[in-house]
Amino acid sequence: MNLSLVWIIAKKELRSLGSEKTIILAILLQLFIAMFSSFLMVGLSAMYDPSMYGRITGIQYGVGFVGNNSVLFDLFERDSSFKPYKMDPGLALGALKERKLAAVIWPSETSPDADDPVTVTLYTISNDIQSTVIEVKIKDILLEYEDILRDVRKERLDYHPIKVTPSRPVAQNSFYEFIYGLLIPMLLFMPAIISAGLVIDLITEEHQQQTLDTLRSTPATLEEIVCGKILACIAIIPVQAGLWLILLTVNGIRIVSLVEVLLHVVFTSAALIFIAATIAVYYRDRTKAQFIFSTSVIIVLLLLLAFPSNPVNLIVLLASGGAPAYHWAVMGAMIAGCLILSVIVRNMVKKVEYS
Amino acid sequence: MEALSQLLTIARWEIKRFSGTMTRDLLPVAIVLLILLVAVSGFITEKGIHLQDGMYRIGVDSPVYLDIIGNDPRYLVYSLPSDIQNIRSMGLDLAIRDGSLLRTNGDKGAAAQKSFERDYQSYVDHLYRQQEDLFAAYPVWIDSEYIVSELDFLATQGGQQVAAPRRATELPPEPDEPETDIAPPSGILPADMDELRIQLEQEAARGTDQLGRYTDILKQQEALGELRIPSMLSPPLPFDTIIFIFVFIFPLYFSSQFFMMSIMNERTLRQGEALIASPVHPVIIVFGKMIPYAGGMLLIVIAILFTVKADITAILPLIPVILFFLSFALFIGMVSRSYKELSFISIFFSTIATSYLFFPSIFANVHIVSLLSPVTLVVHVIDGTGYTLTDYFYSTALFYLTSIILFAICIKNFHEEQLFTEKSLLDTLAMYLGALVSTRYWFLSLILITIMTIPFVFMAQMMYLVLFFNLPMPFSLILIMVLAAFTEEMVKAAGFVALISHRLPVLTWKVVVFSSVLIGFGFLLGEKLLLFATISQIADSIFGAALFLSIGLLWIPFLLHTVTVLCTGTVLKIWGKNALPVGIAIATIVHTVYNLYMLKGWLW
Repeated sequence: MNLSLVWIIAKKELRSLGSEKTIILAILLQLFIAMFSSFLMVGLSAMYDPSMYGRITGIQYGVGFVGNNSVLFDLFERDSSFKPYKMDPGLALGALKERKLAAVIWPSETSPDADDPVTVTLYTISNDIQSTVIEVKIKDILLEYEDILRDVRKERLDYHPIKVTPSRPVAQNSFYEFIYGLLIPMLLFMPAIISAGLVIDLITEEHQQQTLDTLRSTPATLEEIVCGKILACIAIIPVQAGLWLILLTVNGIRIVSLVEVLLHVVFTSAALIFIAATIAVYYRDRTKAQFIFSTSVIIVLLLLLAFPSNPVNLIVLLASGGAPAYHWAVMGAMIAGCLILSVIVRNMVKKVEYS
Repeated sequence: MEALSQLLTIARWEIKRFSGTMTRDLLPVAIVLLILLVAVSGFITEKGIHLQDGMYRIGVDSPVYLDIIGNDPRYLVYSLPSDIQNIRSMGLDLAIRDGSLLRTNGDKGAAAQKSFERDYQSYVDHLYRQQEDLFAAYPVWIDSEYIVSELDFLATQGGQQVAAPRRATELPPEPDEPETDIAPPSGILPADMDELRIQLEQEAARGTDQLGRYTDILKQQEALGELRIPSMLSPPLPFDTIIFIFVFIFPLYFSSQFFMMSIMNERTLRQGEALIASPVHPVIIVFGKMIPYAGGMLLIVIAILFTVKADITAILPLIPVILFFLSFALFIGMVSRSYKELSFISIFFSTIATSYLFFPSIFANVHIVSLLSPVTLVVHVIDGTGYTLTDYFYSTALFYLTSIILFAICIKNFHEEQLFTEKSLLDTLAMYLGALVSTRYWFLSLILITIMTIPFVFMAQMMYLVLFFNLPMPFSLILIMVLAAFTEEMVKAAGFVALISHRLPVLTWKVVVFSSVLIGFGFLLGEKLLLFATISQIADSIFGAALFLSIGLLWIPFLLHTVTVLCTGTVLKIWGKNALPVGIAIATIVHTVYNLYMLKGWLW
């Protein structure tokens, strides 16, 4: 195999990627996905953690309170976010409907040590973000109320849980697990999927546009052509993944072992690209190759994720700090896998070339 | 009649062609892969997804705490020496010593504690569920009732708590109309205890089993008798709608890919030349080729609905989605020059379309914005709420309109010259627009082209609304405003692009001014028509005011649209068509300044 010919083919593919500006679309796409994630974060945090809504803290919500449950009423009275009013049910629900109240609470008249539980009917406005926020705040009060009643009835419990008390409280919401456990692996493998799809397009296009014959009239063999295309696709992986890592770092998300993460991404992606290339060389038709590849990629990824210490898991650990040292061994196994796959591609090319 | 038989012939050919691709070397592999897929899914259900394994390290001074951590794979457990002072020195994130939970500083320690607290809660719940006297362990049960209030979008505009008073008053508020017939809530009977215990078990099982949780969503949920314990009182996890996207949208998207490839194949090596040269009208060719795929997609949807035992009315909101995907597949298949361009454009489009379908439906049952997506209607059908005709119209109108317009543009351009061009994407687009201009009635064409862009503008603007409406207030408003102005100016430039591409009439100053007036008029007309028809609800809110500011008095917005597009036209006239971005930028600035001026009453 003539390496300089491989390099020429790879350079040609990279150049055409640049001139067709398709690579820009690919990057735009990834940016869009990142935006999607940040949208989820902003939107969901607002829903789950009312204090994220700066403006909402410090607001006092009026709550209609029906009945004579003084324990629960006191709990609401003590919370600065709520202003409970003892009201008639009719007035309270009417006011809620006109949005003069944020919620209406109607507990049953059950004594704390009764056999029956206390039923609390909670009225809120449907289809409203505000109700969601209020529900989260009311939940805290009701949990406190539950603890009080449970304490009253504790003689009736058969087993008691082991007590673990946090030495200091933790903020309501943290995106740490979402960012490191989901977002980072997702963003880093986006380029892999893109490149694998790309190698299929590059190979099948030569067949279907019948430009392969022209290309093969040059000194380059089919093997060198395919290798060049694979090389070009692998070459853009670290560029895209690196871009992500830089963007994440700029956003204050620290990647602990940057180089190792990048190496894992490159080798795992390379394996995917080799699989894609094998399929493309065999089928020589984009529809077929893409169909087979997309199905097999799902299988491969699911299979990979079913095992502990898979490369994706290791990337999570490397990014968050505290990866086991044997990740090098997994990387070695991945490299070996790539080598085997590259032999398979070569055999496939030879088989196709002389058939 | 003859057209119908032609249509059916082409449809039949297409089916034959498609089944021809399922050759002997593909079919067995596909079957093997499908079997493998099922096997692997079963395997991973059993083994679990190992993505965050070993993320946190926890030290414990007694093995009793293992009951709490259980088999949560996120924790690596170490035994804690009794004399340790600094848990960080051992590389730990958490430690439990004498029943007290310690954590290291920083995000990771906090996240570890948060996860531990969740595990602790489920451990405690697990113990409580075993209690003989369930009502001693769970003494409080909540019955949530939702009151429909008619203020909806207007009330929550700007994400503010507009409705409830900012400061609660000393005295209880007086409603204008007290509710009259109210039944006092019914209590719980001791006999319900076992039933409630089973419900708690089910709910807990749903919470722990990652995959099971998702497969359960699609089944009609047994509402927990509407009764919940306080720790379960939280809004439904919005990630659940992701599953609907996967189940309904992705199969549809993949099937539309086959149509896209079929169109693309006609263009490679000019294979479709014979078909185009035949006396059959392009409409028949396009729809004939499309029918098998549309039928297939419908069958897929019906099959899915049947499997999840959902009501068949859920199919109606998906029809415009199918059309939308097919129309874009046709367009992308017609304009891309190479396979990689095809891949990238289609992935790009699918991401945007999926998020347009997905974002709003996150807020199903929470916010009226959710109705922008037809998937919300599917969610409603499945959870048993159903939808009204107005809801249907509101969420599907834009999908129908954009698909119809896109089909019209593509069919008008389904000719040799346009199909076999080697021009770049933007140039092809300009050529397509140019083909829509009639030389004699070019002024009418201009108005029509401008009106046609309106549904796309609305769609883009809805997207901005959905993306940004929950950012902090002045920021979201300004962002939406600038983007809206930019989009409007961009599509208004389409008229000029079409004229230049058509070459006739020659762009003289007189034509530039006249065209600007026509485009301004067309835009206003289209905007008003569609606005009244579809989205009056949003238009009434402050975001609506930012997006569709130009509705008030008629002549001011008309003047605005004319002046801004004249900016673009002037730049084009002086510096030629390559200066288009400059023209659009200038027009956007003018437009934004005007919007800011009009909105300043709200802003400061």
